[in-house]
Amino acid sequence: MALIARVDKDVCISSGRCVADAPSAFHFDADEIAEAVQPPPPGLSEETLLNIARNCPSGAITLQGPAEQEVPLD
Amino acid sequence: MSAPTVEVVTVRTFADAKDAYRHKDLRQALYDDGEVVMADVLVNLHGREHRDRRRVENRSFRRDTFDLYERELFPAVTDRTLAPYIEAGSVDLVHLGHELMLNLAALTAGLDRPQGTAEETTRLYDYTMLFIEGATLAHSTLDKDERRRCIHAALLEWDEEFLAPSMARRRTALARLAAGEIVESDLPKDVLTTLLRSTEDLDLPPEVIRREVAFLLLAGAHTSATAFVRSIDHILSWVQTHPQDAPKVVDDPLFVQRCIHETVRLNPSSPVGQRWALTDVTLKSGVQVPAGGKLVIDLAAVNRDPAVFGDTAADFDPYRSLPAGVGPFGLSFGGGMHVCIGQDLAAGVVPAADVDPDAHLYGLVTGAVQRMFHEGVRRDPENPPQRDEATARPYWGTYPVLLGAVR
Repeated sequence: MALIARVDKDVCISSGRCVADAPSAFHFDADEIAEAVQPPPPGLSEETLLNIARNCPSGAITLQGPAEQEVPLD
Repeated sequence: MSAPTVEVVTVRTFADAKDAYRHKDLRQALYDDGEVVMADVLVNLHGREHRDRRRVENRSFRRDTFDLYERELFPAVTDRTLAPYIEAGSVDLVHLGHELMLNLAALTAGLDRPQGTAEETTRLYDYTMLFIEGATLAHSTLDKDERRRCIHAALLEWDEEFLAPSMARRRTALARLAAGEIVESDLPKDVLTTLLRSTEDLDLPPEVIRREVAFLLLAGAHTSATAFVRSIDHILSWVQTHPQDAPKVVDDPLFVQRCIHETVRLNPSSPVGQRWALTDVTLKSGVQVPAGGKLVIDLAAVNRDPAVFGDTAADFDPYRSLPAGVGPFGLSFGGGMHVCIGQDLAAGVVPAADVDPDAHLYGLVTGAVQRMFHEGVRRDPENPPQRDEATARPYWGTYPVLLGAVR
């Protein structure tokens, strides 16, 4: 099962943790707001993505599984 | 006529606190009494105003910058600061912690000390202690109005002596960059430079820049200084009862970092977080705060929540195991929009299971604390530590220690 990460740009505070922890999966856009790379890069484990989403200080990152259902982070 | 009653709701669980910190309709309330320093600074902003400034300032708080600070700039500053005390064989940790962290915070904030004299640093230290007092005025036991006047006057004097010349140097550097005389990498890597480059975008009047830089100075110096003293206190007690760990304190920075995180969990810089409810707010657990009400986050209880930290939550234990998604420092750095911007700089990155110790960022407090154990830090049996009586916050007022080999 591949997880898809999404960043709510109205919530992101540009802390940069996701970009620092997984530069292949997240980057900053022109406004320095985090953005998930689509499609997600191969080789990034679900555990890593889950930890990145949990550690986002503003809670801007959500993860979606198959059929676009949201994956619980807690 | 009596003032209207404000409903105060206190949360004490980790889940409620995390939810509250991330709630967009809960606005910062912790620094209402400290406006003399804290008005319009980053941690007091909300909504778009906050997000725009945070995005600008975050450019100075990225991992590549931390790498430069931790591996190159901070060790040299630490050596210079410690040298006279190592020579003397003793020091008060409270004073040393603030002096050391002030030197590091001045670098990150962008405050120059062109004279390079001890007297100049002492003046900056004295100003910083007043700004710390201003920001934490809510917990002061002194005459608050009198202290407010004194701190405002100090802010103006500090601006004239330190801030204005530092700004002038950076404006000159930015003009030279625009003229092609220097390149990007020649610019100072500090928050003041970043702010000056964005002054027009952010519409920052001079008095706001003044308070913002004062806040960065006090926040960087104060929170790290208190963590520095408390960490050494906790580690000294730990190795008394766990002597097998004494070598790790000197040789294993990952172990020292775990001690720092555990110290910060048990001793949050502010014992509470506070938020104003902008609308009727209901947390996921069902806790309700009416519009205009105040939410108090009891961080001492939150960081000792047994549902998260287990039955030994109140104990110092650097070997503690944690559930996924929980930081080893609890919520001491806050969360949501106001999560501490300097968290990774001060306490380092939380190590992954497959951490590379050579590439890892341990944080400036870890580096400074480990350095003290290299220098043989131990309590002075003739001078026991004393609490600070001028504040209701649990600070050490004095903590004398000895350095060097035991005679």
